[in-house]
Amino acid sequence: MASRGAILLGQCMPCIKKNASKIRIRRMELDKNLNMYFKKEEFFFAHDPEKVCKTGDIVLIRELPQRLTRLISHEIEKVVYPMGDITDPLTGKKVVVGKYRDQIEEANRLYGKSEKAFDYEKAPPRGRLEGTRDFTHGETYIKYHEDGKDQPFAV
Amino acid sequence: MNFGKILRRADALHWQLTRDYAFKSDLKIKWVRPEKIPCTKPEKSGDLGKLPAVNEKEFLLDYNNSKELQRADSTVQSLFQLGNNRLGDTSRYLREQMIKDVQRHPLDYGSMEVKLAKMTVRIRIMQEQLDKFPRNTKLKVALKELIDKRKKFLKYLRRWDYRRFEWMLEKLDLVYKPPPAEFHWITRKESLQKLTDAHCEKIKEERLAEYRNLLNKQKIPFLEDAIKKMEFVRREQIDLDIPITVTEEQIADFKKELEFLTSQRDLQLEDKE
Repeated sequence: MASRGAILLGQCMPCIKKNASKIRIRRMELDKNLNMYFKKEEFFFAHDPEKVCKTGDIVLIRELPQRLTRLISHEIEKVVYPMGDITDPLTGKKVVVGKYRDQIEEANRLYGKSEKAFDYEKAPPRGRLEGTRDFTHGETYIKYHEDGKDQPFAV
Repeated sequence: MNFGKILRRADALHWQLTRDYAFKSDLKIKWVRPEKIPCTKPEKSGDLGKLPAVNEKEFLLDYNNSKELQRADSTVQSLFQLGNNRLGDTSRYLREQMIKDVQRHPLDYGSMEVKLAKMTVRIRIMQEQLDKFPRNTKLKVALKELIDKRKKFLKYLRRWDYRRFEWMLEKLDLVYKPPPAEFHWITRKESLQKLTDAHCEKIKEERLAEYRNLLNKQKIPFLEDAIKKMEFVRREQIDLDIPITVTEEQIADFKKELEFLTSQRDLQLEDKE
């Protein structure tokens, strides 16, 4: 089991463990009684000391020859698709929903691009609002106790 | 066999220790139920910013650049001022301002940014209205639905284009929190269980830290002693002409570690002073 070094494709989930990322692997499982496939989720912890992958990224993980700790059994092989920054594998261009990014930019230029509008070149990389405005890097919970302190992840 | 029954026969034990059901904790943990915040409030909807103050002397949106109006009588002018007209006109004016801040080009009224900006202005106006008229149920329902819709759109934008999503959060002064994994009602029992778990975890951490400190304190005396003994053993072995088992490198390694530890201790002492 451990020696085969299997590679899996999954999505990164919010995780509080240091040095590790929680990866969700989704497979379809056949229910023989209903003769239908249902989603089945499995979670793996991958060794990731530099936190290469962020919540929502699609990543490849490789099985380690030996477990690092009781939880960590995989390592991050590659970040295939960073979330919200998709590259089309055929043309190598960036995509937003159904259009190429440069098509959108071209349309904006033809209409006369507004100065205040969002600019990809000026925009800093993802992650600067973590903990201030964007709380997707952790798991939120329903607030159950009032202790007078600030609970940023309480909903 | 029921151990509880056996234990109960021994009178020395407290009844609570022997009961095997409905265990009541002796810990003095106080649980405070969090106050319910309605989902229409800005704290819950994630609106940090407020609407900009409107100059009531400003003209209506369509009459902004009218030269005739600027030349007109002051009573006529006052008829076209925002303060003397419906709230809808003010909100239209605010919406136009907000849209101009985020739109991609002057003709853009349909992109996701513009949609979000429009919704945000409407939500903030509705929130102000609901504060004034809390029993307006239709308004409340519409507001709730609009907040949910904006949250859904933010979720989409995050998936499509992360950097644009972050830029939008800054522009509109919003906070985005993903929904919790599963819904459950807040109960006294479950909350107390969670608090007790946290309490136990804290005690465990404290004791571990204490023990770690104790072991760390013993390191320096142990190393000093070990170096002395190793040097003695090495000298004896050389004197007696028997095979030498303690090399100088081993002793050097120990000395290096000792030096490192003492320097760290000195640094800590300096910090305290």
